[in-house]
Amino acid sequence: MATKILSVDDSRTIRLIVGKAFRPYEVQLCEAANGEEGLATAAREKPELIILDVTMPVMDGVTMLTKLKEDAELKAIPVIMLTAESGRDNVLQIAKLGVRDYLVKPFKEEQLIEKVGRIVPLQKKPAA
Amino acid sequence: MSDSTSYQDLARRYGFAPKLESASRLTQLVARQDSDVDEIVKVINKDAALRDRLLRVANPDAENAAEYSIETVEEALMRNGVGCAMVLAMGTPLALSLIKTFLTMLSLKLESIDRNLAEPLESEHLLGTIGFSGKVVGGVYLRMNLASAQAIAAGILGLSPDEMQDVGEIRDTAGELLNIMTGNFKSNLCDAGLDCKLHPPEVKLSTDSQAPVVPGGGLERMAFRSEKIQLFVDVAANPWNDG
Repeated sequence: MATKILSVDDSRTIRLIVGKAFRPYEVQLCEAANGEEGLATAAREKPELIILDVTMPVMDGVTMLTKLKEDAELKAIPVIMLTAESGRDNVLQIAKLGVRDYLVKPFKEEQLIEKVGRIVPLQKKPAA
Repeated sequence: MSDSTSYQDLARRYGFAPKLESASRLTQLVARQDSDVDEIVKVINKDAALRDRLLRVANPDAENAAEYSIETVEEALMRNGVGCAMVLAMGTPLALSLIKTFLTMLSLKLESIDRNLAEPLESEHLLGTIGFSGKVVGGVYLRMNLASAQAIAAGILGLSPDEMQDVGEIRDTAGELLNIMTGNFKSNLCDAGLDCKLHPPEVKLSTDSQAPVVPGGGLERMAFRSEKIQLFVDVAANPWNDG
């Protein structure tokens, strides 16, 4: 059975790169373009992992993470932050809210797969 | 455990790349405003590349170092101001971030080149801008010819340039490239006490390649090249937002 992962990023480019990285794996990828959409998609799809950007319009990643951790049904979903910002205050604030890992852009697809694979099972698709 | 110890632990756990010492230190000194100029001179003199760039900027008409009339960091700071030195220092992590982004996401080695030796931009080119505001105010400007933008977007998305015809995707990719470069830049500023927020990137076709101006600020103009791509990056900033 495919692992369900939610990618929340306002950049279509990043969502495409994340999609490309998971293409060889049994992964069902859901997408959202901001925190508000991300919360709604998380509530509807109940993903096993969320990959979350920080700076987004409408609702940013820190606000989405805060609301996620306040929601009894969603707070156990592990989150990996995927962001270009690694400033001290941001990282400390996000770590306190509770994330499983943090990947700084630019990233290699293999780094993303490695970090995700440590948290949820990733099974390669059978060769066609 | 102090915040700084906690951050170092987290940075190790998450595998963050170390920050450039001279850029961080210089930004901290400039952010204090009451810093001793001798301390700033010491930091700049320890970073040969930064020292060379500062002297080059202080001697705009000289063709080489032998023609410099301003020969020391102290004189250069008197002429151009401490803010200019900080903008030049911040250009280094920005340039490294751009080079790393291309190597990581496109397996493409970019080299920094003298802007005067670069091929000029076409009259109509792609311009990406990210502004930042707070204790420091300014912007990062990325310019490239359309063929370069198309090749970059195709490379990042794993397509051939011929398949990459969607202008929206080309713009989005250029915007994300700017986001990645300036995320590191902003982190350095905030860590030094110059809290600021990034504005969303704006990418558009432009015919204007004039140097950006931030009142009271400094400017660093850089150019980069690989076999098929050429990029121009400008950083304009006023570190005290007093323009």
